[in-house]
Amino acid sequence: MFPSSTKLEPANIKTSDTPSGFGGVGNIAGHVLLIALSVLALFPVYWMIVTSLRPANDIFSSSLIPTSASLENYRTVWSTIPIARMLLNTFTMSVLLTLSQLLTAILCAYAFARWTFFADKFLLGLFALTWLVPFQVTMIPNYVLISSFGWLDTMTAIVVPQFASAFAVMLLFQSLKAFPPELIDAARIDGANDWLILWRVIVPNLRASLASLAILLFISAWNEYFWPLLVTRNLENAVVQIGLQMFLTQEGDLWGPLMAAATFASLPILLLYVVLQKQIIESFMKSGIR
Amino acid sequence: MKKLWLFVIALGLAVVAVVSAQKSFLPPLPKNTKVSITFYNYNLASAGIGAEGTKQLIAEFQEANPNISVEGVPAPSNEILGRLQADVVAGRTPDLAQIVFADYEFAINNLGVKPLEDLISERELQTHYVGLHPRGLALARLNGKTYGLPYVFSTPVLFYNADVFKAAGLDPNRPPRSWAEVKKYALQIKAKANKAGVYVALHGAFDWMYQSLLLSNGGRVLSEDRKRLSFADAPALEAVRMLRDLVSAGAHPNVAPSDAQSAMAAGNLGMYLQTSALQNYLLNASKDKFELRSAKMPSFGTKTVYPVNSGSGVFILAKDPLKQRAAWELMKFLTSKRGYTIITSKIGYVPLRPDIVKDPAYLKPWADANPLIKPNLEQLDRLSPWVPIPGQNYKQITKIMMDALDQSVFGDGDVDDTMKAASVRASSLMPNQ
Amino acid sequence: MNHAVLRVNQPPSTKRRKSFAALATPYLYLLPALLTIAIWVYKPLLQTLELSFFDWNLLPTSPKVFVGWQNFSRIFELPEVHQALWNTLIYILGIIPMAVVLPLVVAILTEHIQGRARNIYRALVFVPMMMAPVVVAIIWRWLLNPVQGIAFEVFKTIQLEPINFLRDERWAIWTIVFITGWKLIGFSTLIFSAAIANVDRSYLEAARLDGATEWQITRRITLPLISPTVFFITMLTVLLGSQWSFAYINVLTQGGPRNATTNIYHLLYEFGFGSFAIGWSSAAAIVLFTGFGVLAFVGLKLMNKYAIYET
Repeated sequence: MFPSSTKLEPANIKTSDTPSGFGGVGNIAGHVLLIALSVLALFPVYWMIVTSLRPANDIFSSSLIPTSASLENYRTVWSTIPIARMLLNTFTMSVLLTLSQLLTAILCAYAFARWTFFADKFLLGLFALTWLVPFQVTMIPNYVLISSFGWLDTMTAIVVPQFASAFAVMLLFQSLKAFPPELIDAARIDGANDWLILWRVIVPNLRASLASLAILLFISAWNEYFWPLLVTRNLENAVVQIGLQMFLTQEGDLWGPLMAAATFASLPILLLYVVLQKQIIESFMKSGIR
Repeated sequence: MKKLWLFVIALGLAVVAVVSAQKSFLPPLPKNTKVSITFYNYNLASAGIGAEGTKQLIAEFQEANPNISVEGVPAPSNEILGRLQADVVAGRTPDLAQIVFADYEFAINNLGVKPLEDLISERELQTHYVGLHPRGLALARLNGKTYGLPYVFSTPVLFYNADVFKAAGLDPNRPPRSWAEVKKYALQIKAKANKAGVYVALHGAFDWMYQSLLLSNGGRVLSEDRKRLSFADAPALEAVRMLRDLVSAGAHPNVAPSDAQSAMAAGNLGMYLQTSALQNYLLNASKDKFELRSAKMPSFGTKTVYPVNSGSGVFILAKDPLKQRAAWELMKFLTSKRGYTIITSKIGYVPLRPDIVKDPAYLKPWADANPLIKPNLEQLDRLSPWVPIPGQNYKQITKIMMDALDQSVFGDGDVDDTMKAASVRASSLMPNQ
Repeated sequence: MNHAVLRVNQPPSTKRRKSFAALATPYLYLLPALLTIAIWVYKPLLQTLELSFFDWNLLPTSPKVFVGWQNFSRIFELPEVHQALWNTLIYILGIIPMAVVLPLVVAILTEHIQGRARNIYRALVFVPMMMAPVVVAIIWRWLLNPVQGIAFEVFKTIQLEPINFLRDERWAIWTIVFITGWKLIGFSTLIFSAAIANVDRSYLEAARLDGATEWQITRRITLPLISPTVFFITMLTVLLGSQWSFAYINVLTQGGPRNATTNIYHLLYEFGFGSFAIGWSSAAAIVLFTGFGVLAFVGLKLMNKYAIYET
């Protein structure tokens, strides 16, 4: 599934010191293209924030800069849904999912990379194939199972079915394959067993890629929607993405609060991105993560 | 011989036991028994007045019935049936559910909704029914049995923007009465006020307003014996052609229902035929911007208008007698005078107990301050029930029908051909007679 | 391919007389992840396989009737399914320009943009990837609102008849394709930039010394060398593109207008959770899984055959 030429580790980005490829014209075209693309990428997000700051009777205004900024919509969101609680739930869920998916992936990738064993290729294939099983297929049976365990409306219901991530397994498997064998040999000579080798040699050396993988898993967990929507009933136990749906109401779409809620839901991850932007991009560049 | 006698006596006793078990209604809840029930509700699934009002209803009920605790389970209206089914499959039978009228026949046949007559004594039922509008009571009645009580529902109302009327040189005190007038007004609004004319919000997953439109032209979606789809019969087709004409004449914009709603809220639409439940939303949006008014649903010439309700009833799904009883108590409260006072004033649906509008202890103060409720109340007397499509495939049938309607009104192609083709396809999904 | 480097250094002697513990070790490491996918992915998949041969709505009160292949033949007769399959194809092919072609062009054109500017661009184009699909759907619905949206204002300013993006049958599916692609552009651009950055400079220098033009270098050296990545992203888009569009369909159009934007995933959802036509949805799911499975298999074979690896 993964092109073996891209390696997670070691990072071998080379910065070219050759002059610009297509000459000055190419460079200008490149800048223009990238600026256009950046605007395209950013404008909707900007518009979300601007709309969220408009008061109700000015909501349909199309001025690019809000003339009268108000926090009214945020107050509405704050008072109608338990947004702080929801953000906390989302955070807890994301942390739990990230940790569990990292842990299971480390163990799994290690086994696949370290040993040849009966049905190893088949089992690896099973992981890859999970990508092709659409959520719509597993939705109802899993809901029924969760419900019969009495887990509805709990964090367990959200986390357990996604305890392992095929994506994380495949990705770590790629980087483990490229792990320098000398380090393992050295450890073995020192008398370390398989378990210790994993935790004392491999994991510390893979810190960078584990960190970037963790960031990715965290983001994707944060953005989870359909499954949490299905298994939570009480807003106190819901994640923040579900709060959005509350403002697409029978009695009309409340665009102002909706945009404020959307901003609430995206802000933490955007802030995280602003802070860790360099690392996230770098890890992507290094890994060729899909 | 003795044994045989004993056997016969035992048998007789057993028969008596069975018969009397059938006849025995739910006893009142024993004192000191705590019961907790679930209440699946779609108003809870959206922020705002719907959820607030529902929470208030539940809170007041629990206060009055300290031994019953109610867990509200939110689910969007178009998904509530899926949620109910999934929970029945998972063995967690819901106790009380708000079910959209389009879905309730399916719920009766598949989710084990029992007629109230089997659970509650005639006397208790009749006591509760006093004051309930008979037209409302008929909404959840199928094959002579009452399966639930109407809960939150509304009728089609023609909202209009009085300022747009004035700008177009129209008299806001004389809203259009017939569809011909609607067209004339809409074109005038478009020409003189440069706003969109009229939007008829009958598109989407539910067919209640479509049913209302057909009835008002002497047509039906489903034949009276509930065996045949009749939405491609002549009167029905005529009604759809009228809508198509509105669109092609430029009197009716071709936009999605949700966008029409925003347009009305933003003051860019002259007239808007929509559920009265939208009243509060539109009132809030119009504040300080324009004057919102409402009128009755327009008629086809001089024909009688038959408003059909939207909305939902409450139905008992519980199996356990204690929970059934608790669910019934909640049901009674929701449809009580106090219940309907909250439902109407807080959420904006029609009060099924019209008397409370004149009762100062209940809705009178509010009704005096909110004259927009009037057309809604007047329409109650001619209310026709939203008829559910029968069979397991009712959702697909409805979808085929509504898609064809959408195509006929907004798309190209011949209206009659489109509707007839849809009728043939949909009929093949009807249950065998 | 440097497959399984870790294994090479195992002492060969342990291979012959492995104890049970040694045999079980790898499976113990796999256990948590394997259990998870067994219970939450493959068990439901097998259940789906079974249910695809029955007419049943899962309710304990209704009978479970074995109908053989009838669900399969039935779904292929349904016009909705034809439309959904056709649309699935449009989604797949439609997303490719935005998820593969455009990012590739951008990555090549910007190869030599250096320093701060490059980092800023990269950071910006990546932002959509951070956003939750539901949030993205809601924002675009707001932007494209045909009565008040900013898109409408733009049309008004340039005096064109506004396009009803989500409502017009001719535009709706392309609108959703665009939104799905919008979220992926930055992501693919980064991946391609990374792949290009990883191309060994000595090849390029050698070609340059030989007097090759930049275009020739791009076409003859860079592109072939990054072909595994291009192939990979293309495959990912083909296999998952229409699945990614589900969130947007669900929030923006529910498959409408008149099934114009439905795809097979949305249909599965509708059959399954909307009308509990479990037999139909199961049959459709099995067809889908098999179809994409075959596609993935063929894709992998092609990739191994034609992609050029830099080793």
